[in-house]
Amino acid sequence: MALFSNNENKPKDYEKMLDHILPDPKTELDDSPYSTGLGMNMARDARKVINGKMKIDEFHKVYSSSLTKEFGNSYAGGETENKKKGDGPKWVMVIDLRKCVGCDTCTVSCKAENRTPPGISYNVVMESLEGDFPNIKAVNLPRPCMQCDKPACAQVCPTRATYKMENGIVAVDHDRCIGCRYCIVACPYGARSYDFGDSYEQEMIGYNDVTSPEYGKERGPREKGKTPIGTVRKCSFCFHRLQRGEEPACVETCIGDARFFGDINDPNSTVSKLASSPRAFRLKEELGTQPSVIYLR
Amino acid sequence: MGNLAMNAKHEIKPGTSSTLKLWIFALLAAFMVGGYFIIERLFTGLSATNLSSITPWGAWIAFYIFFVGLSAGSFLLSTLIYVFGMEEYERIGKAALFTAIVCMIVALTFVLMDLGRPERLLNAIIYWNVTSPLAWEVHFYLVYIVLLTAELYIAMREDLVRAAKKNSMKGIVARLITFKNSTINAATKKRDHTLMKVLGTLGIPIAILGVHGGTGTIFALVKARPGWNTALFPIIFVISAMVSGTALLLAMYIIKKKAAKQPIDKEMVQSLSKMMAGFLIIDLGLQFYEYLVGWYGLETEHLDTLATMMASDVSWSFWGVQMFFGAFIPLIIVFWKKTNQNINALLAAAVLIVIGIIGVRFNIVVPPLVVPVFHELPWGQYFPSVKEWMVSIGVVAMGLLIYTFGEMILPIEDISDEVNEHAK
Repeated sequence: MALFSNNENKPKDYEKMLDHILPDPKTELDDSPYSTGLGMNMARDARKVINGKMKIDEFHKVYSSSLTKEFGNSYAGGETENKKKGDGPKWVMVIDLRKCVGCDTCTVSCKAENRTPPGISYNVVMESLEGDFPNIKAVNLPRPCMQCDKPACAQVCPTRATYKMENGIVAVDHDRCIGCRYCIVACPYGARSYDFGDSYEQEMIGYNDVTSPEYGKERGPREKGKTPIGTVRKCSFCFHRLQRGEEPACVETCIGDARFFGDINDPNSTVSKLASSPRAFRLKEELGTQPSVIYLR
Repeated sequence: MGNLAMNAKHEIKPGTSSTLKLWIFALLAAFMVGGYFIIERLFTGLSATNLSSITPWGAWIAFYIFFVGLSAGSFLLSTLIYVFGMEEYERIGKAALFTAIVCMIVALTFVLMDLGRPERLLNAIIYWNVTSPLAWEVHFYLVYIVLLTAELYIAMREDLVRAAKKNSMKGIVARLITFKNSTINAATKKRDHTLMKVLGTLGIPIAILGVHGGTGTIFALVKARPGWNTALFPIIFVISAMVSGTALLLAMYIIKKKAAKQPIDKEMVQSLSKMMAGFLIIDLGLQFYEYLVGWYGLETEHLDTLATMMASDVSWSFWGVQMFFGAFIPLIIVFWKKTNQNINALLAAAVLIVIGIIGVRFNIVVPPLVVPVFHELPWGQYFPSVKEWMVSIGVVAMGLLIYTFGEMILPIEDISDEVNEHAK
């Protein structure tokens, strides 16, 4: 490194160090029996795809003919054909009320995962006692967002900031939401909260430094007046976890294994089987919202 | 026409009246104080309020529907004059239209105050969700304001042309906005009259179905809140708009005349107060059925909503403000022979009704949002914070200032001899 570099390594320096360690792509590819130029070009465009500068479909279109020429029958082709509408998963949650012990682990893990501010809990467990002593029973009813198929919130949103995704999740576009709170008023399940900008920073140093990448979007530290403050927030079935192939935090941490998560479009999935159980019911079905959270009584 | 001296007599001359000076000073002071809290609210966000995720709407939404109601009511009263030809009320025609415009400005400012992200207001227009009553309302409000402005302009045109010859502030403004359109003859009179009728007729469905019925629809369509979810709800909104609009114009007419020490048209005041009482009785009847059906349905949440309104520690706003002072006393004043000859008593009735309708608006917005959607969830606790009141005072003061200055520079109070003839 140079004399005047101030002893600090710049990204460029790291790149140089990497170049020393990594093998030279050209010599490596020359060793292989396949075309060097094609490999180099594909690597370049693959980076574009990762950066979002090129669409994956386009990538496949560009290279499919040369790939077929190069690899013949061993080339499997792109995934353009099977990307039709409605073919993807439709996420559904099943909650077995007989297994729920009311420990609120789901509530806590949800708060930890989504780093929700004070006053906002995407998931709560509604506890009630029914009957008179000694004939008494405790009912624990966990309540995440129902991800309704006919969501009242999306119906009333003036800006289409909240909408139903193809995978069944009702999403909020925090960058579009104007914070009118009509959706909170219209939600029959009380599953939505307004972000007033409160913080746990007093109790927990560094709370503001990390936020959850809700809907797969990294927003950096929580700051005054910065989105999602001033907008409406809700459970997203941990969409950012689903993107990495993980279950929602509440499902993963449930101590009694009372929660199940899966694709209702797949007839062999656990949730599909449980959904057809005679024990299955949904909350406030009379409102016609068609929730995607199914309870087993 | 040709009788300018006669017209000038009826004008409030700006700067000459000390009452007016005091009034403007008081408004400016209120606007400054409120303005501080408005700016503070814009920086701190909604944490300045006592709202929560359980009770997400409060005072500002109540004031917003209150002012939308005043606007729709004033406008509908003006259509009685310009569309249905009730010329006995023509004295307040232009004031009614201008009140309607100012009330809409105030209402939209309250919406702006209530938004979590006020800077994104235009998203409701850019990304119009056609299934959202709120998005439709925003569009209706804009169309309605344009229509009101057009109508007020035509209603004032002759007065503007006359005023343009004067060398006062009014004259300068009048010259600015009359353009070259400055002839008055039989043809233009007829044209203006037809235009007023057309615009007024267009405005009636926009005001009833769009602006105020539509505002009621914002609430009525929410299935999650049984207290709102009735087909009668938008109709009650429209009727109560008529009540408050008539009452406001009546009160403003009397107060302005008193302040300017001008003669009051007693006959018009009495007939307007009868009309106001008539609307109020219809409103009460509809509310009775609304509550009866809800109560008889025995649905827990609906019963809880009614109980919150009528039998909780804030039920004074229902029984006291809305029913006793806002309905019972005014009705007595209007119908009791000993009081309905007295202008001051009728003024009190009108003012009480306007305040009573504020109570109605709060009782519409808050109780259904205090009751949780599940019994296991916590109940809402809401009473407007000091900051919310201060912001409200600031916004209302802003509206009154706009009205006062508007009256100074526009010939809203000017009365043509024609009207005087009608009144005689």
